Amino acid sequence: MAAWSCRFLLLRGTRVIPPRAPAERPALLVGCIRTVKTTTWFEENLTEDNQEYMRKSMAEEYRRQTAEKLNPLKDEPWPRHEWTEGSRRVGLVAMKLGMVPVWTKTGERHVVTMLQVQDCHVIKYLSKEEYDGHSAALVVGGKNVSPFHRSEKQMEIFRNAGVPPKQKVTAFKVSDSAIIKPGTPLYAAHFRPGQYVDVTGKSIGKGFQGVMKRWGFKGQPATHGQTKTHRRPGASGPGGDPAKVFKGKKMPGQMGNTYITAYGLKIWRVNTKYNVLYVNGSVPGHKNCLLKVRDTVLPNRRSTLLNPPFPTYFTEEDGDLDEDLYDDDLFVHTEPSLTLT
Amino acid sequence: MAACTKRLDRFIISLRLLRNLQLQNERFLSTSPCLRAAGNDSESPKFVPPSKPVIVDKTQTVASLRKFLSPEFIPPRQRTDPLKFSIERKDMIRRRKVLNIPEFYVGSILAVIMADPNASGKTNRFVGICIQRGGKGLGATFVLRNIINNQGVEICYELYSPRIQKIEVLKLEKRLDDNLMYLRDALPEYSTVDPEMKPVPFSPTGEVPVNKIKVRMRPKPWSKRWERPKFNIQGIRFDLSLTPEQMEHAQKWAQPWLEYDMLKEYDTSKLEEQIIKEVQQDMSK
Repeated sequence: MAAWSCRFLLLRGTRVIPPRAPAERPALLVGCIRTVKTTTWFEENLTEDNQEYMRKSMAEEYRRQTAEKLNPLKDEPWPRHEWTEGSRRVGLVAMKLGMVPVWTKTGERHVVTMLQVQDCHVIKYLSKEEYDGHSAALVVGGKNVSPFHRSEKQMEIFRNAGVPPKQKVTAFKVSDSAIIKPGTPLYAAHFRPGQYVDVTGKSIGKGFQGVMKRWGFKGQPATHGQTKTHRRPGASGPGGDPAKVFKGKKMPGQMGNTYITAYGLKIWRVNTKYNVLYVNGSVPGHKNCLLKVRDTVLPNRRSTLLNPPFPTYFTEEDGDLDEDLYDDDLFVHTEPSLTLT
Repeated sequence: MAACTKRLDRFIISLRLLRNLQLQNERFLSTSPCLRAAGNDSESPKFVPPSKPVIVDKTQTVASLRKFLSPEFIPPRQRTDPLKFSIERKDMIRRRKVLNIPEFYVGSILAVIMADPNASGKTNRFVGICIQRGGKGLGATFVLRNIINNQGVEICYELYSPRIQKIEVLKLEKRLDDNLMYLRDALPEYSTVDPEMKPVPFSPTGEVPVNKIKVRMRPKPWSKRWERPKFNIQGIRFDLSLTPEQMEHAQKWAQPWLEYDMLKEYDTSKLEEQIIKEVQQDMSK
């Protein structure tokens, strides 16, 4: 029955289409169509079974690729150098999980953000000339995604590195001694408890906001003869002498949805099993957003970077890390309750 | 008279018969040698000491046997990665292995011993009624309220803070509401707890008793308009402090359509069972 009806429909379809085509042609000639849609979808010519197969096989392939790259030292590693003061290591791309409290051994409570390092790989090495003429850079990507929404140009880069396509790709400036071979996986143990990091992310967008919310201006009183002036900026500068509004005057405008860096955040704890960093305080961005984490640039905090894993942490080199690495001051929940003196 | 004696005779005979039956029954049923020896004194002259009396110390609170999951284990409904909650749960279980956090509810009377650098002896014991439980995961809190020297005192404790030395349940019970913040506006006698209170024994199985007390309030103004439908408070005697007109007026803010909002439903029963299983497994490790 179903087959019959289908055939009937098809027949009707074929019958209907030819008369319609000339009817559409005049519309085209009129010139109503502005853009020509050229996007193609991978499933256009595939049956449902094949689509399913395709998705599964791709996932399998990517899992294999991620697992294979676990030992980059085995196949011709790039020459390595010793850690010296002043060299810059690569950073990580991490996902923000959420915030939790931690306690120190003196009973103080701190709030930390959990950042998970998911499928983070080095993708490309950019030499000094290729990048900006000042320093070399490493392109790092995090979090595997579907390849079907990436352009061919982007896919080429991932294919060269031999890693699955990534959701977030960023470049980190590195010193020449800290370069790593593309395809190397990066783990949370790249950072160690006690050191300080900078976290860059895209802040939560608040839309177009007035000066009270955006810059914390005081506004005007609610009463006492105010006419239509309660949340307005007031004066925007002196009058006759400069006879202009200075550049950078705080005014209403788009708030949030910009890249912001939180500097000098301490790492309290590192979970090496799930690759989770516990970073002091809050970081820009919403939950599940992808962030850049790198060694801090603050001159006062750089001294905490004593003998870090250089150029990064390799699993097969010092693989016997504990599941959790804690800061010395941090209270570990397996210890007995605190007695304060 | 004769009839009387006859009846007596019959009665005695029947008694004997009964006793015989009983004895037979006893012998028939008893399987342990100890009982048989007790029944037949002539056969075994050995002295059998009487069994030791079991002294049940009712002042000691026993661990609860009922299936209970602390509410902070259930993750809130949001788009956070479940991995975050599972990592947090591991830390919570680690802490619970060191510190015994008993089962308690809003309305239970607790005593908390906490390390305090400013207290003499460096620890501080506070007894009070639990008026609120808040937070999920490691940041879970509870608020204890008591009245000390005619002054209401509330302390918000973090459940997983390492400064907490001991949490004792002095009286395990529930109240009609899940949040007793209205005790701030009630007469002080309802939140007064004796700091030297002895623990009240409770049964480790079965339902937790519900204290159906309804409190009398101080005259208005209150910290919040408790009569409003959004609080849905059962434990206040509104008839003493408000007129029927005022009660009816408060219904103006009722939102009866919200209970049909299917998007706001959050059924945690399946999740709860899963987490209970996981927690019990990890706790027994």
